[in-house]
Amino acid sequence: MFKNLITKYMTTSKEKLYTQQSSEEAISIKEKDITSNLDHTTSTFKSIYSYPNNSDVKFRDIQIGGINKKAVLVFINTISDTDMIEKQILNPLLLNEEPSRKIDDLISAQSVSTAKKIRDILKEINKGNVALFIQGEKQAFIINAANFQGRGIEKAENEVSLIGSKEAFNEKVMTNISLIRKKIKSEDLVIESTTVSKRSNNEVYYVYVKDLVNDELLQTVKERIDQIDIDSIQNLAILEQHIEERQKSIFPTILNTERPDRAASFLEEGYIVLLMDNSPASLVLPATFWSFYHTAEDRYVRLFYGNVTRLIRMMAMFIALFTSSIYIAVTNFHAEMVPPDLLLAIAATREKVPVGAILEVLFMELAFELIREAGLRIPGPIGPTIGIVGALILGQAAVQANIVSPIVVIVVALGGLSSFAIGNISMNFTIRICRFAFILAAGAFGIYGITALFVVGIFYMVSIKSFGVPYLSPLTPKYLSSGDTIFRRMLKNEIFRPSYLKPKDMKKK
Amino acid sequence: MKKHKLVYKISCLFILTLILSGCWNQSQIEERAYVIAIGLDNAKDENQIKLTYLIANPEYGSQIQGGGTKEPPHEIISFVTDDLTTSRNAANVVISKEITYDLLTVLTVSQEFAKDKDFIRWMYDTTKDPEIRRDVHLVVTKENASEFFKKNEPKLETRPHKYFDMILDRGVETGMLPSSELIEYFRITEADADLFLAMYGTTKQNDDENQKRDNDNFTAGEFRYSGQTNTTNFAGSAVFKEGIMIGKLTADETRTTIMLNDELNATDVLTTYTDPFNENYRVATRVNKTKRNKVEMDLTARTPTIDVTIPIEIEVLSAHSMVDYEKDISKRKKLKKSIEKEIRTKIENLVRKTQEEFKAEPFGWSLVARKKFLTIPAYEEFDWMKSYPDMKVNIKINVTFGQFGRQSELPNEKEIRD
Repeated sequence: MFKNLITKYMTTSKEKLYTQQSSEEAISIKEKDITSNLDHTTSTFKSIYSYPNNSDVKFRDIQIGGINKKAVLVFINTISDTDMIEKQILNPLLLNEEPSRKIDDLISAQSVSTAKKIRDILKEINKGNVALFIQGEKQAFIINAANFQGRGIEKAENEVSLIGSKEAFNEKVMTNISLIRKKIKSEDLVIESTTVSKRSNNEVYYVYVKDLVNDELLQTVKERIDQIDIDSIQNLAILEQHIEERQKSIFPTILNTERPDRAASFLEEGYIVLLMDNSPASLVLPATFWSFYHTAEDRYVRLFYGNVTRLIRMMAMFIALFTSSIYIAVTNFHAEMVPPDLLLAIAATREKVPVGAILEVLFMELAFELIREAGLRIPGPIGPTIGIVGALILGQAAVQANIVSPIVVIVVALGGLSSFAIGNISMNFTIRICRFAFILAAGAFGIYGITALFVVGIFYMVSIKSFGVPYLSPLTPKYLSSGDTIFRRMLKNEIFRPSYLKPKDMKKK
Repeated sequence: MKKHKLVYKISCLFILTLILSGCWNQSQIEERAYVIAIGLDNAKDENQIKLTYLIANPEYGSQIQGGGTKEPPHEIISFVTDDLTTSRNAANVVISKEITYDLLTVLTVSQEFAKDKDFIRWMYDTTKDPEIRRDVHLVVTKENASEFFKKNEPKLETRPHKYFDMILDRGVETGMLPSSELIEYFRITEADADLFLAMYGTTKQNDDENQKRDNDNFTAGEFRYSGQTNTTNFAGSAVFKEGIMIGKLTADETRTTIMLNDELNATDVLTTYTDPFNENYRVATRVNKTKRNKVEMDLTARTPTIDVTIPIEIEVLSAHSMVDYEKDISKRKKLKKSIEKEIRTKIENLVRKTQEEFKAEPFGWSLVARKKFLTIPAYEEFDWMKSYPDMKVNIKINVTFGQFGRQSELPNEKEIRD
């Protein structure tokens, strides 16, 4: 009967579908070269761009002065610099009076190249460049005039630094490259680009320092990216999910940073940075656990300040992971571990709570996650309400109504607060999810469960690799490095680059 | 498909382990009744005991949102039972929550029961129960333990665990009480060489007017006080030989024992000694033991001898005779000699008492003696407990002075009166 239902559903749904269409014809046209017949070429492009339905595609017919040839300029005016087209292309062409000059010499734009294949020409136009077709020419002139709209350089919002630089990457890749070049003024800084997707033609930029980066590592990264076979990759966040090694893993293995100074300092260690248009960030790979734990600020403040911050962050990580689960373990299995005063205080507050400790904690944790998620999605103007709702209704009122005990509010709030100390969003998620696993383990097996899960977690972390680099290196396994792991050393003692990257030059000084 | 099968098998195993383990030991913290103190008394039947539970009320004294409580700080229940473990179920006839010994801090035994020859059988019950810690204090009460709990009404530390914690710890610090953890009781009983000292307490006042009570020379119940306070008092110690109580030591004797026994420790001992310049006054002092005693033995002689040197540091806190000890070396020397003599007499009296009355010592000397023998059988053959009463014990006190109070300068009495 079940089968019948399925087949019935399948057939009925098929009938309603639209008829299949093919874009094969259009594709075959794109593979051809252009001809010397200007009218033919123009009509081909007009049909490809659905002119004049496609409102921002412009075909400008002109008569080039001096040489007296008909010509057509094709560009998309929303992504090109129209001012520049007028001054550096149209004006010189129209106002020319000398018949002997070549087209290259007429146009005063920065770069002019030629292309023959329709597909290549289309690609350039789609990038915001201008294609110039001239009567009798079997090639098109491609003039650089791209100008995509985007916001300017703004302050870093997710990785705030008090005394470091305030600039953050934005959605224009050229700006991002410029920000990196500003920090590494070297001829060895190479920016290679490649197209990753087939339809949207998204480009990925590899950034690396030529005389530092390990060529095999670079090759691995390139191969991994070349293997992607997909129509569109919008931005780095999507790319990250395509190229990471374990896509179902709970731990992030590629660092996503919005700070150009962090990206630059990684480059100088021999890491590889990926950039893309539309992403106000960069991907750093390979990434180790420590790169998620560190912040840029750690290195900018003085040795002790930085290390104390790291100590606090490490403690916060453990507090976020373990407070709730230890509370459950202790109250359910190991009451004798608690000092009598605290034990009696917990027992007293729990006396009127209707549910068990595990449910109580889970309920409160869920409430906390709700506040966090809702607070993130809530539109700006009503933002402050979330604080009132969270603190008052969930905290105080729930306690007064004897739904949760006040100690659980403290425990959950402490864990929640601590989880904010881990700045990296991916690591933050990891810790928050792990916390629930620990709560369940504690609920089932007490401290034994927590310990067992922690040991398994450590095993797992040791087994992870990011582009061949062990996740916990240089701590486990031990590698020669600058020793920048849980704590950092004095800057003058940081002599080596991380040897797990096998950089071409090990010594920093 | 193969992969799915594997996942299926593994998840089955995982679920099975969940069913097999854990959770059984789980018990909600608020669903247990926390026994703070257990009292043991003789029952009419020889094979039974009268058990008393002092159960703390967690709600007492905590300011809970959503309605406080007017319940009393604790409840007490006494009943006759067979043993310490199964009694927990029996108590549930009356008590609504699961009885737990997690917070047990005091094991109280009536003097009468402690002297019973079967006492040790009941004590070994506590070694079987995993919830009873070995650092539980053993307290001997003059009256029945059940009565003791009923009368004990602390005025300020009304939460029972706090009260027992504080008063017993403080007693150990001042040296008025010996530290009497269960683990020591078992260790000393099983070593079968020394005496074990337990804390001694009562709620009864001794009305014997003639008893000499000066100079800490009292046990619980003999200290005279009045006012609006608790009737319970702890002082002195009960002496256990081979696991059974045989006598008592006063607070002063307990302090002296602690001075002699390096295993015991009192950190805040304030006491007075006779002033050598005026017998009517006493010198108030703080007694510190900074170094360990030197115990030397000659066990091969016909009459074995023990030479004990006790280093003591004394801070003179005040001297009513207004003698200027700080500035005058000769006066200090006289004071030193006088104090040394006083302490030595005290110790010698105590040693004599242990040799003649108890026929064993509570000073932990058997531990030193063990090192004098090559093999354990040789030591066992020597039989420390039997040999001790005939030994000659030489005491040497070595007093050094610390500070002489905050203000060293004293006015001349005659000049003021002038």
